[in-house]
Amino acid sequence: MQVPAELLYTKSHEWVRVEGDSAVVGITDFAQNQLSDLTFVELPSAGDDFSSSDEVAVVESVKAASDVYSPVSGKILEVNDRLEGQPDLLNSDPYGEGWLFKIRLSDPSEPDGLLSADTYRQSLPAEN
Amino acid sequence: MSEPPAIGIFLPGPVRYAAAARLQEEILHARIADEVPDVVLQTQHFPVVTLGRRGRDEHLYCSPEKLQELGIDFHVAPRGGDVTYHAPGQVVLYPILRLDAGRTGSHRYLHVLEEIAIRTAAAFHVDAFRREGKSGAWTASGKIAAIGFRIRRWVTYHGLSLNVDPDLTGFTFMAPCGIEDEPVASFRMILGKKCPPVAEVMKELHSQFGAVTGLYPDRRTPESLDDIPALREIFQRFVSA
Repeated sequence: MQVPAELLYTKSHEWVRVEGDSAVVGITDFAQNQLSDLTFVELPSAGDDFSSSDEVAVVESVKAASDVYSPVSGKILEVNDRLEGQPDLLNSDPYGEGWLFKIRLSDPSEPDGLLSADTYRQSLPAEN
Repeated sequence: MSEPPAIGIFLPGPVRYAAAARLQEEILHARIADEVPDVVLQTQHFPVVTLGRRGRDEHLYCSPEKLQELGIDFHVAPRGGDVTYHAPGQVVLYPILRLDAGRTGSHRYLHVLEEIAIRTAAAFHVDAFRREGKSGAWTASGKIAAIGFRIRRWVTYHGLSLNVDPDLTGFTFMAPCGIEDEPVASFRMILGKKCPPVAEVMKELHSQFGAVTGLYPDRRTPESLDDIPALREIFQRFVSA
């Protein structure tokens, strides 16, 4: 299970890459693997405001639908439109081309409360 | 901190789909708030066609109005998956279960539900298996178990349906799960007179859920929940509704 060291994480299996006063958000390798082949993504719209832990997106596989929560508060700057036609990018490259949205941080110190890669990795089950 | 044991509850039913859906939502919210442990519900439904949230109308060959005339309810469910049919004689298994790390191991939950269905079928000498690219549990005679679930705050609800002895004609109004030209099977179709009663299959599903997840739910009735007041109240509201 990949957990890149340079990212921050939530207990609900989202990842965050802070870039100045904004952040890129996606779902983790663990999340995409649990949900298996993703077939649909419901994304927010640019300009929408969210508070941390609000429902911000829904990802759906053939048999499962799962909510995604905003790890931080702020305004959506950009969403990954490619996922509309290629939701499988979430499976093949969850930390890269499968990013979900970019959000302007309403509080630049908020990401300090997120989990480090080490802490997040320890919360995952041992691989069989 | 160790989690309290999961609770297994059988509602012999049949129960109306809408009532069971409300019950699941209430347990889900209580589970998210950690007011109740994992709960594994089993019941049967009165005849109902349900569409998953991305399910497509074109897989349903019959209007909701026509279904109503035939005595079949229609609902759009918040779960994943396409169109399906529930009726008495089919067991539905609804685990309201925290999927956080360590609960079902690193196996996908979909795989876990399939495994429970396959092992339960095997216990009654029904040979069921997975098919590549098609979820659920299949037999040589057709699909015997269907799966569709929703995850909120990493708690899952909805789940699995297993055909023991339902009237299968309800499935003729649709392409079940959006798959055209695939037959649907039941224990009765395969076992004939040796088909077990629904209550026996519920017991087996309960055991297999425990064996596959390692959670071994404590079997309770809605009346024996005094030690979990939040869950007792939810069931009291359900029973009086």
